[in-house]
Amino acid sequence: MDDSGHDNDFPDLSSFDDESSVISTRGLEAFGRKVTTTASHLMAPRTSDPASNPTYQTAMTEVHRQLRRPGLQRSVFSMARTTPTDMVRSRLSTKEIHSRALAYVPDELLQNIPDGEQTYSLFQGFQASFPELTEEGKKHRRRVSRGRKLLDEGPTVPDGSPKSLQKLKKEKASMMHELEMLGIRKNMASSEIREIDAKIENLAGMRGILLERLANLEQDEALLEHDIVEVEGRLEEALELAVEAESVALRTPTKSEDDAASEKGDAQGFMSQSVYEKLPSANSTPSKKKPRSIRRKSMPILHEHFQPGTMIRSMRAHQDNITALDFDAPFGLMVSAAMDDSVRVWDLNAGRCIGVLEGHTASVRTLQVEDNFLATGSMDATIRLWDLSKAHYDPQGSQFGKEEDDEDAIAFENPDDQPVDPPAGSMADCPLFTLQAHLDEITALHFRDNVLVSGSADKTLRQWDLEKGRCVQTLDVMWAAAQASALSAGEGTWRQTTRAADMSADFVGALQVFESALACGTADGMVRLWDLRSGQVSRSLVGHTGPVTCLQFDDVHLVTGSLDRSVRIWDLRTGSIYDAYAYDNPITSMMFDTRRIVCAAGEDVVKVYDKVEGRHWDCGAGIAEADQGKTPAVVERVRVRDGYLVEGRRDGIVGIWTC
Amino acid sequence: MAQLPYAIDAETPLAPAELAVLRAQYESEGDMVGVQTKFNYAWGLVKSNARHEQHLGVMLLAEIFRVSLERRRECLYYLALGNYKLGNYAEARKYNDLLLDKEPGNLQAANLRSLIDDKVAKEGLMGVAIVSGVAVVAGIVGGVLLRNLGRKR
Repeated sequence: MDDSGHDNDFPDLSSFDDESSVISTRGLEAFGRKVTTTASHLMAPRTSDPASNPTYQTAMTEVHRQLRRPGLQRSVFSMARTTPTDMVRSRLSTKEIHSRALAYVPDELLQNIPDGEQTYSLFQGFQASFPELTEEGKKHRRRVSRGRKLLDEGPTVPDGSPKSLQKLKKEKASMMHELEMLGIRKNMASSEIREIDAKIENLAGMRGILLERLANLEQDEALLEHDIVEVEGRLEEALELAVEAESVALRTPTKSEDDAASEKGDAQGFMSQSVYEKLPSANSTPSKKKPRSIRRKSMPILHEHFQPGTMIRSMRAHQDNITALDFDAPFGLMVSAAMDDSVRVWDLNAGRCIGVLEGHTASVRTLQVEDNFLATGSMDATIRLWDLSKAHYDPQGSQFGKEEDDEDAIAFENPDDQPVDPPAGSMADCPLFTLQAHLDEITALHFRDNVLVSGSADKTLRQWDLEKGRCVQTLDVMWAAAQASALSAGEGTWRQTTRAADMSADFVGALQVFESALACGTADGMVRLWDLRSGQVSRSLVGHTGPVTCLQFDDVHLVTGSLDRSVRIWDLRTGSIYDAYAYDNPITSMMFDTRRIVCAAGEDVVKVYDKVEGRHWDCGAGIAEADQGKTPAVVERVRVRDGYLVEGRRDGIVGIWTC
Repeated sequence: MAQLPYAIDAETPLAPAELAVLRAQYESEGDMVGVQTKFNYAWGLVKSNARHEQHLGVMLLAEIFRVSLERRRECLYYLALGNYKLGNYAEARKYNDLLLDKEPGNLQAANLRSLIDDKVAKEGLMGVAIVSGVAVVAGIVGGVLLRNLGRKR
């Protein structure tokens, strides 16, 4: 067997073999030669035990030595450089083929092997983490630590005997090993953290994409909804026409009479018709045109997925201090009022002004939006009610004749831009009626169902029946205070607080009504709970040392904010303080939803208290813009619904955030 | 301590309880399983004597190779070792040679290469021996039979 010849014959055989298992003729030749030689060696002596036979052994070692030379070996077993059993397995057994397919690594991956050095190999990681996972390892660790303790406790004086020397050496070695293991484990933990960080980043990217998709879907949904409402309106109209045509066809002879009668009725009705008939309820005769549905069919959920404290939008709503604002639902309608005496209605989804409500002769101090109804209380001592569903508004914005600044342009609108002026008369159909009885400016109002209660600087509260449109009860706060003091001296009297701010504070800072229950906070820092059936104060909550400016209750708690800088949470049932906290400045506005209490506390941020986590945090322009050197105006009013926060600032900018 | 295990390490199977611990850890991490945990389980499987477990182990190693770029190089060695244990010498050699190309001084890989060579040679020779032995026996039997037939006639 001349192997040098082989090597010369096949200089590039290895590469040849790499590519395929095609049997080369030369390889076969060599193989055949080899086989005959080996076979003759093996077969010649037919003894019982071939292994003990010296001839066999020499033959084997010779063959082995030769086989150890890779060049020769490859030429010998040219067929895929593997053993017959392997070849048979890889081609015949379905299970084998299946598992091989699963474990197969494509060549392009094999080409792409980075050189990056790792601080530890996976195997080292295995060695380091494995003992910890198993019982034995734990035992070992315990033993080691105990051993160390023994060493610490009794520092035996090294007596210099070789045994103790060896022992110490061994101890040191094992400790070094442990140290090494600890190092690897440390590296493992940190690299695992990096791995997780990468995963988080990846997931955050995916989340962003999905968020974008959700935003688009919601946009489409809103537009489609608007179209549906429009079609519904047209359908209704068509139905009405059809019915009318039918009735006309039936009663043609008496037509002129009917007309006259109805005309007469209309003329009378304007004077005598009770106001409530103007309030379109669900089962009353539908108004001819309903550009907006009473309730949205779908619930916007986009803002729930934003990071809390993310700005959704910011817009310059007014040129002056915002005095009041409210909105009906996330991405719904917002109404804002400012010192500039204007009241504007906004589409929060598109960030556009729908229209300006005209009627009040002085600036609006308080307002509330509920479904489609809006109540505004003004310094001109009147309360006006509006039906926002009567507004002429097209969310696509075609009305504005400015198609260029579509959604995108508006979404990134500069808050200092002059707002696009809505067409005049878009709100012409909105006014319902006016409530006049107060003698001084209205500072607070709240309505629910058919009951509206207003508080005025004339030191009275008035209860209005929205069905009949008139005042049904007047509550004199001073009288109630005097009454209370007469009954139980000292408690519940009108206490003039000593704060300088009192002069500017509203007499009635806030109120809320629920059926026959009324809560009102006044400038003396008292919160009074009234029973509207008897017209009496049923309970007084004493605690605030400054005028109460804001108040809200749910079924369990009553939350009040005051110029004394504190927020107090009262237990409605017992009337005791449930919780209280304070900020640095007087609180001008407060509202809570299921999860958080948000406050405007004389800062450029909204103060948020997360009830679930018990955490205080800031949300608003003051955080982001502090880095840019800008100082946003102080937040004056704040509203929140379902984590959708709207704040109005002193410079007329309205910011919308998630929280 | 050695960066990579010698082949002898792969030949010592874990106790079933130990493997169960590794599997539990692997399964507890679900879809977001970490590379190290995956490797621990895979390595435990490769060390096993049961062929289906070895298969699973190699499959997991291949997954690690595909997913984590920075571990590819060392994964080559584990894949080679796993395939060597499975007897898939062609695959084992492919991976090992690739690693040796990159790290010519890698002692473990060099060791594995010689082991693969040995195994291939031995099994090849055994195969050849068996085949030729069978052929010879068949020839003898055939010859005897023929001779017997001839005698009968």
